[in-house]
Amino acid sequence: MLSQELVAASTEPLILWLLSAGENYGYALRQELKRLSGDKIEWTDGMLYPVLHRMEREGWIASRWGQAQNGRRRKYYSLKKKGRKDLRDQPEQWGAVSGVFKQLWKEQYV
Amino acid sequence: MFKLEEAISEWRRQMLSAGIKSPAPLDELQSHLYDEIEQQMKSGIKAQQAFENAVTRIGQANVLKGEFNKIKCKAVNRIMPIILGAIGIGVGMGFVLPAVALYRSHSVVSGGHVSLLIFGTALTLSGVGAAASVIFRRYYVTRKLTL
Repeated sequence: MLSQELVAASTEPLILWLLSAGENYGYALRQELKRLSGDKIEWTDGMLYPVLHRMEREGWIASRWGQAQNGRRRKYYSLKKKGRKDLRDQPEQWGAVSGVFKQLWKEQYV
Repeated sequence: MFKLEEAISEWRRQMLSAGIKSPAPLDELQSHLYDEIEQQMKSGIKAQQAFENAVTRIGQANVLKGEFNKIKCKAVNRIMPIILGAIGIGVGMGFVLPAVALYRSHSVVSGGHVSLLIFGTALTLSGVGAAASVIFRRYYVTRKLTL
């Protein structure tokens, strides 16, 4: 499992990435992340919703209440223009961090 | 005999009494709770155990309330300098404009008015600076630092 700090730092960009595939709701986002990371990254429920609400307040994402197939109400989130714009910068930023780690690893152990 | 709907209503009451008063987060958490219970029951866990597991996963009301409150605090902290900046500009201009009007009508400004003019200008500039720094941090610095 990833450290709490790294999970916290990556939550917002990961949410943006997951929502770039289309609107989705909190539980499905959590399950999708769990699947994609091979159970290595998991958001706690107490952390996910405050982050989603903050991102909505910041104008990165929008939300709407809809109805699920089972008839229950669900809150769906989708990317807004600001979120899409921010998402464009993410590969470069994470690539830079990853690149430094790879380089350090290479210099120390190869 | 365990009744899921009653257990969820009781959980909701506990959340409300613990301080999660706003219906929107609570409705969303409840929807999440149902999804989690359904998922666990699909894998063969009985309703009562699935409910207990899901409630544990969601966490205690006071922890959730603390997390939601953090957002409110951050929003207030961000908006406060803008409000103070706007007040600074308003009050500052309240000193500057009468002094300028006096100079335009009499072409003379007393020492007292010069002091007011300097004080008003300083206050206005401080207000502009406070508001601009928040806007700059929000749109430029945060974007560069946020991963």
